[in-house]
Amino acid sequence: MTSKKRQDMTIGEALRANGVSRRGFLKFCAATASLMALPPGAATAIAAALEKAKRPSVIWLSFQECTGCTESLTRSHSPSIEGLIFDAISLDYHHTLQAAAGHGAEAAREEAMKEHHGKYILVVDGSIPMKDDGVYSTIAGMTNLAMLKEAAAGAAAIVAVGTCAAYGGLPAADPNPTGAVAVSEIIKDKPIINVSGCPPIPVVITGVLAQFLTFGLPELDDLGRPKAFYGQNIHDRCYRRPFYERGQFAETFDDEGAKKGWCLYKLGCKGPITYNACATTKWNEGTSFPIQSGHGCIGCSEPDFWDMGGFYKALSQGKLGSAEGLAAAAGIGAAIGIGSALLGSSGQKAAKAEIKAKLDKDMEATK
Amino acid sequence: MSTDARLIDIPVISEPAMTLPSMNVEPILHEVRHALRRLLETGETSMIDLRAMPLAPGEEEKIRTRLGTGEVVIQLDAMGPSTLTETAYSGVWWVEHRNPNDVVTGLYIEVAKVPSIVEPDRQDLIDAVARLNDDLENNDDE
Amino acid sequence: MTLLDFARGPGMQWSLIILIVGILWRVVGTLLLSAEKDYSQARQGGTGPGIRAVFRRFWPHPEFVKPTLFHMVGGYTLHIGLFVVIFLFAPHILWFADLLGLPVWANLPNNIIMLAGALTAASLVAFVLRRMTHPVMRRISGFDDYASNIVTLLPVVTGMLAFAHTPIARYETLLALHLLSVELLFVWIPLSKLAHALFFIPSRYQLGAAFGRRGVKV
Repeated sequence: MTSKKRQDMTIGEALRANGVSRRGFLKFCAATASLMALPPGAATAIAAALEKAKRPSVIWLSFQECTGCTESLTRSHSPSIEGLIFDAISLDYHHTLQAAAGHGAEAAREEAMKEHHGKYILVVDGSIPMKDDGVYSTIAGMTNLAMLKEAAAGAAAIVAVGTCAAYGGLPAADPNPTGAVAVSEIIKDKPIINVSGCPPIPVVITGVLAQFLTFGLPELDDLGRPKAFYGQNIHDRCYRRPFYERGQFAETFDDEGAKKGWCLYKLGCKGPITYNACATTKWNEGTSFPIQSGHGCIGCSEPDFWDMGGFYKALSQGKLGSAEGLAAAAGIGAAIGIGSALLGSSGQKAAKAEIKAKLDKDMEATK
Repeated sequence: MSTDARLIDIPVISEPAMTLPSMNVEPILHEVRHALRRLLETGETSMIDLRAMPLAPGEEEKIRTRLGTGEVVIQLDAMGPSTLTETAYSGVWWVEHRNPNDVVTGLYIEVAKVPSIVEPDRQDLIDAVARLNDDLENNDDE
Repeated sequence: MTLLDFARGPGMQWSLIILIVGILWRVVGTLLLSAEKDYSQARQGGTGPGIRAVFRRFWPHPEFVKPTLFHMVGGYTLHIGLFVVIFLFAPHILWFADLLGLPVWANLPNNIIMLAGALTAASLVAFVLRRMTHPVMRRISGFDDYASNIVTLLPVVTGMLAFAHTPIARYETLLALHLLSVELLFVWIPLSKLAHALFFIPSRYQLGAAFGRRGVKV
């Protein structure tokens, strides 16, 4: 190791110190470029920028979550989590991955927050319960709400990992018993990057961090997600799209259409309203993604995906409350109809009487 | 993660559906043809990122088969192995990058005389001269 | 709640309630109106000519074919197009099946649906333009005529834009606009001349029967 202190090294220096060659680094950058949907040639630009970037301190807070996002993170193969932790970032607090526990762990968090005040990246997974002063989720006796506010104060930027942190996710699903909200509903004065998904694609989590280190704050879509990773509509990029165009659909999960790989729209696929990199980046080291494995997209990277009317109900089917409402409407309609008919016939009678009176009068006059 | 239990080793055989239309194979081959012409006429190199395409199951293999195999295979060992294979069409390379866990991290068709990653960087050449100088000056074996 | 959530949920629910209330109000109200008693002696029964009139009027008498050709061709294109688009497009079929508890029926490929949609939209635009330019049509056209044309046109256009994932807006927005335009149509149907969908058969029958009783050839 060089005489330079580890955290003062640029990413390039840190990589070189770890024996990563320039070609190796270029490979890493090519994979990152591919992930950001940049042309392969952009790898050189990424390499140049990453060379000079400083390794940032990262504090990772887990709130109302299932640890699925962390599980996903640890499966990132390119850049790999090991590579990222040791070379590109300095992960100073992550209560699932760190060795320290109890008071020691909390002390590490406080120390990192103090030392890198104003400069660290705050990563949050999980939503934050607001009901009853946030008592429904606490860490070391501190509510998630208080911890988020404290940690956000000194952060350069916040990355909300997973649909829970980004939009409330499962804890916020109807009827939302704990009053769970997204990070963006609490913190208003810091840049927030939403990395949604339940969980997000492993390499997208690390890719967003790499993108942030390379190019700074990324361009976000209207839901606060980096366009580079969430610019693709699943339906537009789906290899089963031709079957949709031809009107060839699987009707059940085991019919002939399903076996032939036809479109899963009728089985509730939410691909048309979902934005994510699944169709190209895929999962499990690029092996497959839900639609390729025969199940429709559940739209997990979109807000309120739990409450979109059912995973197996087609997108075009309404979220109608109840048939009773419509039946009641029919009754009311018939009643109004009868009423107006009665009114109408009495009106008819009155009009007839009026005409008759007028005719009689005219007859009188002509006499 | 250990490398001895990989997904690919699980003996599941999935038969690609016979009726799947290959939407991507022909267009990609056309793109390669255009790129090859550009290389010949202007010297411009191109790279097609196969992992950025919504390829249907089996399409990657189809493209690989159609391109065939040429005379040159280049192996890299840089943050995991890489194989750069010349296809049956001169100037068209099948580039496969793997990470240290032997997982494919990038798959490209590169159209160039020699794949760009093979050529050493200028800074590396400068470093090489310096290191060799160093070695010759400080090594008195002979 | 996003615009799409509103359009799929409460918007759809309430527009359907208004549609059902409106249809029943108009149909029940009209059918229960007491008809004027016909004191003249009937030359023949009304039922036969009534039924005949319902079908006979799908095409004009020979002498009227030429003057009404524009309306006939345009009208048939529009109505057949609407039928194909509404009842044979897979997402629509699912919507109906879900709402009415019916099994799903066979759908047509999307390119045929798009063709039908384009023809439908073109004929609706042609009708609006004719209303605006034809000297007689212009005089006899009111707000209801234009509004009914446009309210019918909107779901067709927004649907096609959404289907094609047109980059003028995100798909969710286009889909929401499509649903909202359909909901506007639902509300507008019972309140406007679009109610002809409910009345054309009974009124043809009524008129045919009345003519029949008086001995007029239908």
